[in-house]
Amino acid sequence: MTQPTVIERLQSALNVVHWRNLWVMVPLCAGGIIMMVPFLWMLSASLRPEGESYRLPPSLLPDSWNPDSYRHALESGLPFVRMFWNSFVVASFSTAGVLLTASMAAFAFARLRFYGAGSLFLTMLIGMMVPPALVLIPIYAGFAAVGLLDTPVALILPALASSFGVYMMRQFMLNQPRALEEAAMIDGASYWTIFWRISLPQLGPAMAALGIITFTASWNNFIAPFVLIKSLDQMTLPIGIVSFQGVFSGAELAVVMAACVMSIMPLFVVFLVAQRFIIEGLTMTGIKG
Amino acid sequence: MPAPGGKRQGLRAPEARAGWLFVAPAFLLYATFLLVPVIAALAFSVTEVDRFTWQTDFVGLDNFYYIWSDPHFWRSFLNTFEFIALAVTGNVGCGLLMAVLLDRSMPRVLLYFLRFAYFMPVLVAAALMSLVWKFLYSTDLGILNYYLRAIGIPALGWLSDGRVAMFSIVLMDVWKHFGFFMIILLAALQGVPRSLIESASLDGAGAFRVFWHVKLPTIAPVVLFCITYATIGGLQVFDSVRILTNGGPGDATRVMVLYMYEQTFGAQDLGTGSAAALMLLLTIVIVTALQFAFNQRMTRE
Repeated sequence: MTQPTVIERLQSALNVVHWRNLWVMVPLCAGGIIMMVPFLWMLSASLRPEGESYRLPPSLLPDSWNPDSYRHALESGLPFVRMFWNSFVVASFSTAGVLLTASMAAFAFARLRFYGAGSLFLTMLIGMMVPPALVLIPIYAGFAAVGLLDTPVALILPALASSFGVYMMRQFMLNQPRALEEAAMIDGASYWTIFWRISLPQLGPAMAALGIITFTASWNNFIAPFVLIKSLDQMTLPIGIVSFQGVFSGAELAVVMAACVMSIMPLFVVFLVAQRFIIEGLTMTGIKG
Repeated sequence: MPAPGGKRQGLRAPEARAGWLFVAPAFLLYATFLLVPVIAALAFSVTEVDRFTWQTDFVGLDNFYYIWSDPHFWRSFLNTFEFIALAVTGNVGCGLLMAVLLDRSMPRVLLYFLRFAYFMPVLVAAALMSLVWKFLYSTDLGILNYYLRAIGIPALGWLSDGRVAMFSIVLMDVWKHFGFFMIILLAALQGVPRSLIESASLDGAGAFRVFWHVKLPTIAPVVLFCITYATIGGLQVFDSVRILTNGGPGDATRVMVLYMYEQTFGAQDLGTGSAAALMLLLTIVIVTALQFAFNQRMTRE
């Protein structure tokens, strides 16, 4: 599907047919605005002086603007910038690792015939039912035993065990034509060459979807760092900000909210840029699942 | 690449080796960080582990007897089911309703805004949004109670009243997650063959009857998938409960993962924590199996 031009979009917007559905569109828009209220509250609380957030009746815009909270969040004694970096490192390595290992395994399951493939795949599927919370207890004990608690490695390695990723990539690959791969096979290319040069480039949309899903899940993960990370310096954003709140208590609401705004900003940007991939990726997992 | 009629082992051997090599990284990670931990949790659940010396003693089923006789555990078990009953209904119900409303022609710009507004909460950390909702729910200073009072309803103790707290957690959960189900169900609705809809309309069926007799049966497998998915997720709810109420007031919102966490890291007892975690796994397996059997039956009919 090609993207419509600006003119086509305008024409579509002005199309009279749409306005028959006005009775639905008005409540939907009202609902959409209500959905945004927690975000708007977060944004305006981050931009107003302390105390104004608690004043009733609530107002959408701050009476007096106070963008200092952002500076405070960045310069305060708490290592917010460091947490941002930790989140970025953990999410990037997790995503890169999942994309590589999942697409390799998917290539084997979708394209190669080998003894034990069926039961191996089934074993990995079962893993999707195991709650991460259960796995965390032994992982905690294991990392404690080898001295890796409180390091990014403790967050990255367990995140790489993604049976969901293998499953999703395999489904996608099964729906792709295999003619090119067969041709390369006849030409005597090695399996690695076939995978790297031919299969992988065809996986673009699936990689984008899985990449965004994995990155977001890592960026938002709360329970794993909650259990595995203890020192402020090693914390990722959600757990860091929640303990921000503990350290500051309610008094520094604006700073906490500024930190929240900054930490969800990357997701806003990703969503605006890649809405299509995210939606297609979810749809793919839901319907063909 | 299966060679045509490739039954000869000579041809297959390199392919089999490649197959294993390509699967190896993912499988080793999976084994190390999923299979081994599950087995380790089984082992922990029948031992008493000393957190400082890591010395272990076999205690049989004592850990299980302990949690089975702990009223907090059963309360967390029931709370979890109360949560999934409400949250699955809310999430899939709202998701389906919104999908039906969105499944019609409307300006692209508007569709873009609506998808953004309804889907954005799905992408954002539950932990962070719980901080915001905690303020919205605040009894005296929260805007929810302000508007309730404004329309003449007495203020609610959203998080402080034991009868309301679970509902408040569900409300935030539905706000956070229904967009996910909306997107999946919308795609399913748009995949219903046009010919089916048109022939029903030609037979004089109105929009409601078309939905009830044509669209809903067609997308039923996807709806069932959503219910199963929402249930598995709901059984594991933690972030929002931990931040909004931490299980309180009293025991009113303590859920299974929170109980497990408290046993393992609060009471410093890996054994009972693992036993609780295995009870959670068992619950998930049973509920999923029941739903799977039900789904099979439904789709066959």
